Order: sequence, then structure tokens, then C-alpha cells
Amino acid sequence: MTDVILEKVGKTYPNGYHAIPSVDLSIEEGEFIVLVGPSGCGKSTLLRMVAGLESISTGELRIRGERMNEKEPAERDIAMVFQNYALYPHMSVYDNMAYGLKNRGMAKKMIEEKVSDVAAMLGLTELLQRKPRQLSGGQRQRVAMGRAMVRDPKVFLFDEPLSNLDAKLRVQMRVEIRQLQRKLGTTTLYVTHDQVEAMTLADRLVVLNKGKAEQIGTPMDLYNKPATPFVAAFIGSPSMNLVDANLTEQGIHLSETLTLPLSHQHRGDIVWGIRPEHLEVSDERNADFALRIQAVESLGAETLIHGKIETEFGNGEPMVVRLSGPHLPEVNSLMWLTAPMSHWHLFDAKTQQRL
Amino acid sequence: MTVTFPQKGLPWLLLLPQLLVTAIFFLWPAEQALEQAFYQEDAFGLSREFIGLENFADLFTDPLYYQSMLTTLVFSFSVAIVGMSLALLLAVMADRIIRGKLAYQTLLIWPYAVAPALAGVLWWILFDPSMGPIALWLKSAGINWNHYLDGNQAMILVVIASTWKQISYNFLFFLAGLQAVPRSLIEAAAIDGASPFKRFWTIVFPLLSPTTFFLLVVNLVYAFFETFGVIDATTKGGPGQSTTTLVYKVFDDGFVGLDLGGSAAQSVVLMAIVGLMTVIQFRFIERKVQYS
Ligand SMILES: Nc1ncnc2c1ncn2[C@@H]1O[C@H](COP(=O)(O)OP(=O)(O)O)[C@@H](O)[C@H]1O
Ligand SMILES: [Mg+2]
Repeated sequence: MTDVILEKVGKTYPNGYHAIPSVDLSIEEGEFIVLVGPSGCGKSTLLRMVAGLESISTGELRIRGERMNEKEPAERDIAMVFQNYALYPHMSVYDNMAYGLKNRGMAKKMIEEKVSDVAAMLGLTELLQRKPRQLSGGQRQRVAMGRAMVRDPKVFLFDEPLSNLDAKLRVQMRVEIRQLQRKLGTTTLYVTHDQVEAMTLADRLVVLNKGKAEQIGTPMDLYNKPATPFVAAFIGSPSMNLVDANLTEQGIHLSETLTLPLSHQHRGDIVWGIRPEHLEVSDERNADFALRIQAVESLGAETLIHGKIETEFGNGEPMVVRLSGPHLPEVNSLMWLTAPMSHWHLFDAKTQQRL
Repeated sequence: MTVTFPQKGLPWLLLLPQLLVTAIFFLWPAEQALEQAFYQEDAFGLSREFIGLENFADLFTDPLYYQSMLTTLVFSFSVAIVGMSLALLLAVMADRIIRGKLAYQTLLIWPYAVAPALAGVLWWILFDPSMGPIALWLKSAGINWNHYLDGNQAMILVVIASTWKQISYNFLFFLAGLQAVPRSLIEAAAIDGASPFKRFWTIVFPLLSPTTFFLLVVNLVYAFFETFGVIDATTKGGPGQSTTTLVYKVFDDGFVGLDLGGSAAQSVVLMAIVGLMTVIQFRFIERKVQYS
């Protein structure tokens, strides 16, 4: 069953700033959707429109078939976890979690039951009488989640909930959020700028760029078939190597002297891409091109080699190669590489669409 | 940061004017009052006699003194509560208006810039029973305004006149306090189903409580000690004793009634109260306000 539908939803701020032109998205019940994109691309704006904290300028939002545009946040049956947690500083953990239930006139007994259930689930039972300032960052995060969970809403909204935590805790909470969401089966809209977080959490991802949904799909769809160079560069780490090129009968001209043979009906300026992990080390005879090595990053399990494509005139395109295991090539030496055609990504330079 | 002066003398030299002013206008009179409080002086200031604590004994057996104390309490709490409520209301409204906030703020600082005596005269003119526009308007509405005869009306007038001057100050602090409340807290409360009214009373107001307490002390100190000008310009403590606050009584008894010893004893009591309130205020300021 479709749970949340955004139909041509757009936002223009009162100061005239056109933050979101138009976004279409339909979310299935129980689905975990991640909105991802660079800072300032409109993720929070979109999420806040769903929450009712920002008005919807154009289009329609429906939750379980009901139009939500004019409804107050409290009437939408959503719960939100804020980046700074937004815990009420003068209330205990218990009161923070109970506040929304009290406002809805639930009986005291029921509230106690619900809060203690959720507190137990999140390991907060010992902390119920504490004030937020007496909690660590991770504990505050849990309380913020608990406050959202006790209400048992139709939709969870998260706005970068992990970005104030240190790296280790972030990974731990990421796993936990995913498990909790599976267990509760609550439809979730989650905002992050971190593509790793996005890939690991999402059933489906929405990549936003300047307020536009560049692509919507499963993490593997986006990894295997990015719709635009923007998505290609954004998803995956290190980013996909993208080279401005030209497509003719002979193939793809990466530079004046370097052509990768290909028969394709498209002609003209294109962007050619290949992921760092798909480049293969080769020898001079079989290689597609050579890389002049500029820097080597050894991470133990893998090695990242940064360099430039070697051309007659120097100054080739920069490229990153990712090899598994330790490698120690000399800086400034040449590395011969093949780029398997099955891993190529071609985009029309003008329309920015995948070919 | 530490500033070091080459000579030891220079800092003292720079402090000297301030120290002199403090000595001449505060320490010396204070000492005089303290001394005076233990003497009885004749009306012409020609002779005086040491009488120990008699001035204080007289003071604390005088029903008029207790009357004045009660008047002061009623007056001060009225000024503090009326002034703070109005300021909070204005601050909440201003906080909502995102644009033009600066103009609004500037407008509300005006009364604070008007000297207290001038503010007093302003209200005195507005409420003058025979020609003041507000008094005439009240009369037409069926309320017979004459603060020269009616003690309660006189009290209302001095409260209004004193409050007026304090509103801007209160407003600025409340506005700053309101703006320090993170937006996301209000939004979280909205999602949690709290009405705007409830949001204010359960989230915003508790978070403002440090500001509120600070302003309460400041306003009480103001109403106790800094409203002489306003009272003198509007009611001169009358009718009867109905607006004679403790500070006004010091002046009235000393300079009008020429009981210098009794007046000095009252000053000493006031000094003790001021000291106590200052301690409370400083204690309080040291406590840091935290929102997160
Ligand atoms: N209240 C506002 N008024 C005007 N512009 C805003 C407002 N809030 C956000 N913006 C602008 O809208 C764009 C998207 O903001 P936001 O949704 O917060 O981005 P993100 O969450 O993806 O970092 C930004 O360029 C931001 O400056
Ligand atoms: Mg954001």
C-alpha cells in the first residue's frame, strides 16, 4: 500500500528563493527512504514540508490517501527526530517522551506503560529521571528517537540525526536505527548528506541536487546505473572517475591521442565514467591507457592510487584507482590500466542523461 | 587578557575620578547618614545630641512606617508584575515579526531614554483631573478620575508612570531570551501536539525563567529605589500617605518634616535592603543560563 505521496511538491520561500522546483515521490508502507544530497540542496526543506513545519508552495502531499497540505504538524501523525535532538531541556527524559502523549490526552497509566516499553527497547530505563544535559550525545540521540517512537506515528522523519555523533557511534546508531525501523515497520523518511549512511540505510534513495530529484532508486540501482553524472559522482566512495569526452564512429576520444574503441549510435560531447574499483592493472601491450601516479593512499585492506592519464602533452584527466590489498607503486611512475567496457558509464554532456 | 601598566601610579590615576565621585556622592553621605541616625538634631541644625538607637526604636514603633513599607511592597510588586507582563507580551509579539524587528525594537527603547522625572511630568499632564486628556476621557467613560483625592487612583498613576519607563528594559531582555530559545524546540512541541498557548507555557516560559527572575529582582530594586523622581513629579507621596514609599518617606521626613535623625535611620534601613538585594542579584547573575 502506498503510504506517502508527494505530487509535484515545490517550495518557494517568502524571500523569493525557489528551493524546490517540483518533486514527485511515492513511498510504500514500511519503506525506508533516504533523501541524500550535498548541503543546501533542499533536503531539510522537503522533509519539513512533509512534517508541516514549512508550508507547501505548490503540489500536494498525501499520507494514507489524505491531503495534508493544510494540516497542522500535530494532525499529520508524524514524528520527527531533529539534528540537534531538540529535547526539552527543562524536562526529564520521561517527561520528554511523555509530552506528546500528554498533549493528546492519553491516560496517565497508558503513558507510563508506553514510555517504559520504549525506554526498555532503547536501553533508557535507567536514565528516565535525568535531564537532557546529564546525558551523553548518544543517549540524547536515543531519547530523541524514543520520543518519536512512543507516539507510534504513521511516518518517522529524521533530519541528519547522526551528524552530531562521533564516527564510531554513528556507525553503531546507524545499524540500530535500521533494526528498529525493520522491527516497527514504520514508514521512514530520512535525510542525510552522507552517502555511506544513505546507501546502508535505504530501501530506496532519492538523490537531490539543487532541489531536484536527480534519481530515485535502490542503492544498487544508483550504484550500477546512475542516471546523471551528479549521481554517479555522489554515490560511491571514492567517487566515480568522470572524463569529458567526445563520441564518434571510432569510439570515445578521452583526449586528442587517446581513444577507446566503441560502436554507439550517439555522437557528440559526452561524459565517460568508470568507478575506481573497476579499473584493472594491466601491462603496456593490453592496457587502455597509462596513469602517471601522483599519490598513493594505503588503507591496508585497500590502496587508493591518485594520478593523471598520461598523454603526449601531459596534463591528462585526473583519475583514482582502487586496488584491494596493499600496493606500493612509486610516485611519478606509470601504471598501465584497462577499463572493462561493461563498467563504463556514458552520459550525454548536454542533457546530463545516461546514454 | 591582562593589561599591564608600566608605572604603578597610572591605574590609580585613571581610577581617581570615579573613586572621587563615589566618595563624595556616596560614601561620605552614607557615612553622614549612618552617624546622623544615632543623633537627634534641632530643626535649625544648630545642636545635636547622641541618642543611641532611639531613632530606630521610634521608626519601628511608628505605624506610618509600616504603612509606608506596605505601600512600597504593593507599589514595587505592581510595577514589577505589570511592567514584566506587558514587556513579555510585546516581546512575544516582536519575536513573531521577523521583519522590521529593528524598527520595533528602537521604538520600544524610547521610554527608557526619557528621564524619569520627565516621564513623571508626562503622565501627570495626561492624567491631570481638570485638563489631562486621559482623565477627561475616563470621566466621559464614567470614571471619576482624581488622583489628588483618591489614594488608589494615585497608586495606579505612579505604578503606570513607573512601569512605563521600565518596559523597554524588560522588553529587550525578554526578546533576547525568546530569541535564544531554539526554534527546533518549538517545532518539536508543535509536532508533539501542543497548541501555541501550551507551547508558550510549557516550553518557552520555563526556559525564560532565568530571565524572568533576573528581571524581577531588577524591577523590584528599581521600584524600591529609583522611582523618587516619578512619585515626586506626579503625586508627591499623596494623597495622605497613599503613595509614600520608603524612599519618598526619607525625603519627606528629612527635608519637609525636618526630622533628620529619623530620616537618617530610615536611610540606614534602606541601605541594608539595597545591600541584600544586590547580593541576591549578583548571586543570580553568576549562575549561568543554559538551554541545551
Ligand atoms: N527560511 C528560509 N528562507 C529562505 N531560504 C531558505 C530558508 N531555509 C532554507 N533556505 C534555503 O533553501 C535551500 C535549501 O535549504 P535546506 O533545505 O536547509 O538544505 P539542506 O537541508 O539540504 O542542507 C538553501 O539554499 C537555503 O539557504
Ligand atoms: Mg538540512
